[in-house]
Amino acid sequence: MGSVHTPLAAVFNSDSEYFEIIWQLRMPRIINAMLVGGSLALAGLLIQNLVKNPLADPYLLGVSGGAATVQLVVIISGIALAQNTLFFFGFLGSLAATLLLLKLSYHGQIKPEKITLNGVVLAFGFAAIISFVLATASGQQVKSMMFWLMGDMSFAQPNLLMPVVILACMLLLMKHHRALDLLARGELFALKSGVNAQRINLIIFTITALLTAMAVAQAGTIGFVGLIIPHLVRLMTGFKHQNLIPMCFLVGACFLVAADTLARTIMSPIQLPVGVFTAMIGVPVFLMLNRKV
Amino acid sequence: MLKLQNLSISQDQVPLFNHLNVSFKPGQFWGIIGQNGVGKSTLLRTIAGINKPLNGAVLIDGTEVTTMPPQLRAQKFSYLFQEQEATLAFSVRAAVGMGRYPWHSKKADDNKITEQALQQCGIQHLAEKSILRLSGGERRKVEIATCITQQSDYLLLDEPLNHLDLVYKAHILKVFSAISQKRCVVMVCHDLEVVKKHCTHVMMLFANDCYLTGTSATILTDANIGRLFNDHHQYD
Repeated sequence: MGSVHTPLAAVFNSDSEYFEIIWQLRMPRIINAMLVGGSLALAGLLIQNLVKNPLADPYLLGVSGGAATVQLVVIISGIALAQNTLFFFGFLGSLAATLLLLKLSYHGQIKPEKITLNGVVLAFGFAAIISFVLATASGQQVKSMMFWLMGDMSFAQPNLLMPVVILACMLLLMKHHRALDLLARGELFALKSGVNAQRINLIIFTITALLTAMAVAQAGTIGFVGLIIPHLVRLMTGFKHQNLIPMCFLVGACFLVAADTLARTIMSPIQLPVGVFTAMIGVPVFLMLNRKV
Repeated sequence: MLKLQNLSISQDQVPLFNHLNVSFKPGQFWGIIGQNGVGKSTLLRTIAGINKPLNGAVLIDGTEVTTMPPQLRAQKFSYLFQEQEATLAFSVRAAVGMGRYPWHSKKADDNKITEQALQQCGIQHLAEKSILRLSGGERRKVEIATCITQQSDYLLLDEPLNHLDLVYKAHILKVFSAISQKRCVVMVCHDLEVVKKHCTHVMMLFANDCYLTGTSATILTDANIGRLFNDHHQYD
């Protein structure tokens, strides 16, 4: 697999140079791709529920953009480079982006049409800020930044915090899976059925911001995973969140590993950013879904 | 007991109806009648705690409804929207089962109650069908079954008979009558014959904050019905 031919036996031989490639380069990257893919798919599922629009995705609505903008500024200004600090700043960024989005789109209750439009416009705004920062950055920094922004797994360092946070988020979501079902059918419907809609919405949007921030810190802004995967999973399992939550994570994880493997190998030895591949698959799927909706 | 205490209701901050005082008790089947736009739906929504009262209070056993947590409120009230759009392809059984949410009861009990409601509303043959693929009348029965599954003390039903054919109207009305033996059913309805035949109590809303409440026999007199038809609103 990959740019170097590797005999199978050598993989398990700790003296061989291949041992290092597999266990210190490839495996961490695969695990990261799984965590990032799963997070993005879950974030997509949640944000589609929050804005009641099946075509929502943290990337399209500027949640990723908010995280990326803040993280990029932090990196460029040299304040911090540690992964967990980036998580934190990314979380602030995506939280701010989500809050701004809700604030702009809230008039007594959230208007789904409004939130989608506002989200897309915000995403453009963040993209503009990012371009501005890149245009003023030094030449050396720019290429790696560009890669990161297009969605790239090659910088990702294994991080223990991420799986722990994901697990905690999933447990919390599973606890409220019935409330999420009801909320998906509409705010008023959930309210009259006894769901504390305000509280559940708060949980949804905090977790969306958190998962997106971690995914962006690990791998840049990868689009379309959050859009396609929830749709695929709904086709597979139906609409109950009891199944949707674990399956979205699993399928998202597998999808990004596959996309990343393609990105790594298809033009080997040149490695492409994985975001290019998710978009190449995502764009036609999005267009097809949009025709049906 | 459900008590409306000097209740004033509004729609988008515009006052609709003022100074309502009435009590609803389990064992009663109420019909609310009045011309379009007089505030019947808004009244039900205010009772259910979805709209906030402009003034006064909705009290249930002495507790103000707006102060109750949503889950507790849903144990007291189930509410049937006048129109409920279906957007997601849940199965009929899953949709009806959602009425169990406020109770956090055992799954086996939930399933049993759900099956009973499906049967009561005559939709058990649709149980596996997606709610998106139903006719208007079938969907109405699913929504009614969901309210029944909720097993609340008060059922607030906004024109529940919409889209139902004659045979099912009669059937569903019998179901409501049976439920109102132990619980309280409050139904907005435009069909005077239905109200006369099935409801034990009537609330008649007129323009200018006038209303009548009492047993069907005392309210549904020719004189009052005549007044209802000649009632002209000033909506502005």
